[in-house]
Amino acid sequence: MTRQVYLSALALVCMLALSGTGSARAESVPPPEIAEQVELCSGCHGTDGVPVTEATPIIWGQEEYYIYVQMRDIKAGRRANEIMYSVVADLSKAEMRALGKYFAQRPWPSTSFKAQEGDDAIAHRMASAGQCAQCHLSAFDGDSRVPRAAGQLASYLEKTMLDFKHKRRMNAPDKASLLETFDDQDIAAMARYLASLQAH
Amino acid sequence: MFNHSINNNARYGLDTVRCTKMGEALMTALRNGVQGICGVAMGAALFLFPAVHANAQEVIGGTLYGDMGLVSQDMLSRAASDGNNFLHTNGNYNQTRYYPSRQIDTGNVGELRPAWIFQTEVVETMETTPIVVNGVMYATTAFNHVYALNAATGEQIWHYKHNMGPVTTYCCGPNNRGVAIYDDRVYMGTLDARLVALDAKTGKVIWDKEIADPELGYSETMAPTAVNGKILIGTNGGEYGVRGFVKAFDAKNGDLLWTFHTTAENSVGVWATRDATGRDMLRDVAAEKAALKKMGDPYKTLGGGVWQNPAVDLASNRIFFVAGNPSPDLDGSLRPGDNLYTNSLVAVDLDTGKYACHFQYIAHDVWDLDAVSPPILVDVADASGKMVPGVLHGGKTGHVYVHDRKDCSLIRYSEAMVPQENMWVLPTKDGARMLPGANGGVEWSPMAVDADLGLTYAINLHQPMTYHVESSPYPEGKLWLGGAFKVIPNEAQWGNVTAVDYNTGKIRWQVKTQQPMIGGILATAGGLVFTGEGNGQFKAYDSETGSLLWKFQAGAGVNAPPASYTVDGKQYIVVAAGGNTQLNYKRGNNIIAFTLAD
Repeated sequence: MTRQVYLSALALVCMLALSGTGSARAESVPPPEIAEQVELCSGCHGTDGVPVTEATPIIWGQEEYYIYVQMRDIKAGRRANEIMYSVVADLSKAEMRALGKYFAQRPWPSTSFKAQEGDDAIAHRMASAGQCAQCHLSAFDGDSRVPRAAGQLASYLEKTMLDFKHKRRMNAPDKASLLETFDDQDIAAMARYLASLQAH
Repeated sequence: MFNHSINNNARYGLDTVRCTKMGEALMTALRNGVQGICGVAMGAALFLFPAVHANAQEVIGGTLYGDMGLVSQDMLSRAASDGNNFLHTNGNYNQTRYYPSRQIDTGNVGELRPAWIFQTEVVETMETTPIVVNGVMYATTAFNHVYALNAATGEQIWHYKHNMGPVTTYCCGPNNRGVAIYDDRVYMGTLDARLVALDAKTGKVIWDKEIADPELGYSETMAPTAVNGKILIGTNGGEYGVRGFVKAFDAKNGDLLWTFHTTAENSVGVWATRDATGRDMLRDVAAEKAALKKMGDPYKTLGGGVWQNPAVDLASNRIFFVAGNPSPDLDGSLRPGDNLYTNSLVAVDLDTGKYACHFQYIAHDVWDLDAVSPPILVDVADASGKMVPGVLHGGKTGHVYVHDRKDCSLIRYSEAMVPQENMWVLPTKDGARMLPGANGGVEWSPMAVDADLGLTYAINLHQPMTYHVESSPYPEGKLWLGGAFKVIPNEAQWGNVTAVDYNTGKIRWQVKTQQPMIGGILATAGGLVFTGEGNGQFKAYDSETGSLLWKFQAGAGVNAPPASYTVDGKQYIVVAAGGNTQLNYKRGNNIIAFTLAD
């Protein structure tokens, strides 16, 4: 599929998604220079912060610098993602920084996701071995260049960890080295545990 | 009275509701926390508990005797014999962390009680050393808040919250280890790699300068060092492919005076195959030489962070600091050579930043067993038994290294303070087990010295890990370990407090602790050492024998270096209890000052 077709398809999704919502809250009106991009992003990432597909991450309330770095890396080919590439390929650094800031300032949405029994024990064991809280902090809410994982979609978290493990995602190489040492069931449990951390 | 007063005391009028609630919380904390020693202090502590008001207060420095708010170079230079103030993160320029007052001693330490508890607004890892001058305390928190407190009562004078930029970098927690004080200003480095000068009286920003570009992985957690009109500071970033440095800024206006890069433009060195203790590091020198030919000198992204204070030798006008690990931590294939001056003790000229001497502990390190704990200047016995000016450093390897100050050369190293196994097995893809783990030994935790006893005190970790290597190119300012460290889940972890005779290298006494130790230690002329644990225990030991003499449960990890000071004839011991991100110890937000029960 060509890039134009992707963008048209995304725009359509976006229009459909937006048509179902009321007027945007005043404080969430994006600056005019990125308004068009925000509309495009919302097609998949959601007009209320809840993504429209399970493979799409929550970016409302995500760390500002992390959002920018992901766009930067996708544009530079360090993180492979065809759809996102077509979205960010022509964006300037200033636009990407502005998008990062805009989405970081939106409230993180609740998904009411519940973990399974036993997930927390597995997650704590993994976090202890992998020293996860050193960067993601004890509440897994991240900071700056480290993403918030708490309350993220379980499906996206699991896919991301497996993508690192199997070297499909390459822009944080040390995550691959670490996740290679964990098995898939434990990764799934960790994803559910993190997704269930809703209360903040 | 002490030499300052708080402006507008009336504005601290007690808010009944708030105080009642705080009182209840404190009563509960004391009931749960103090191990059988509450009684007397409790009532007093209720009244001393800080009522936090939004109104900014000012430190009033002027007195009958002159402006005691000013910290002169002379005061900083003679801090080692100052029985009132605590002016440096590590006590004095020699960094002995030895406090010369003896009011609290081995005979009465059992009567030590909390005088006050101050709760900051940041419940996250605390590594601050409170600085105390003329009865005013300056302490910092995670994410770069600074508080000025009345050191006798714990009342807040002012609170500064750094306006953090969106780009911060840290491998091991949003830490800050405190301020430096000079003249009428306090100085702090920030997570977004800035150096901030605040008015010590009001907390207002005087200047705020970028130290280095945070997008490239630079950040600050160390307290700066103030000396002769200069503010010295290094950088974090050994996990991010930075080029490490120590910089000197003009205390007045923040102008950069000099930069010493810790990775030399010729970083190759002498192809040392053995570490400081003579063990073979299993380097493949032929492969490294081939790589060097192909890729050139790797100095630009070679790491070498300096994230603890330098010691200042006023006699030779040199500073001594340790430089951290090379980047990427575990993957040596991208950085052929000895990687000078990573993992080294380094001395440079205070006025110019020019190189004076160095000693490298581990050339071409692939285990992140870097040199971190701040060096200490003390006279030591040389190989012939003659006392000479020396330098001590506590290594992540578990050894205390003893150097000759004139040329940085190694005189001796101590017995290992923690188990060492499989040194030096090379990291592998699936992980190779080696002890110590990458946190040490002695982590960043500063040691203390009692020169009368000829002992240095170190706190250690035993935390078995596997070392995994996987090569990847420099990921543009992102975490760049070149693999992974993994804590082995089913192996026991513990810590210890160790006293080492630095004139012989022998361990004098050692006390095991329930958890790996991180935070630091203080020695006093009262024959005591104070140090805290991840489980919330804050303890005093007999510095000569290691006997446990006192303990207090702080309710959160005590993982910050203690300090001591005297106000109005009362000696205090102070420590932050905020837990620790790196070892994931229970977080809190307390600064607790102790004094003897009346």
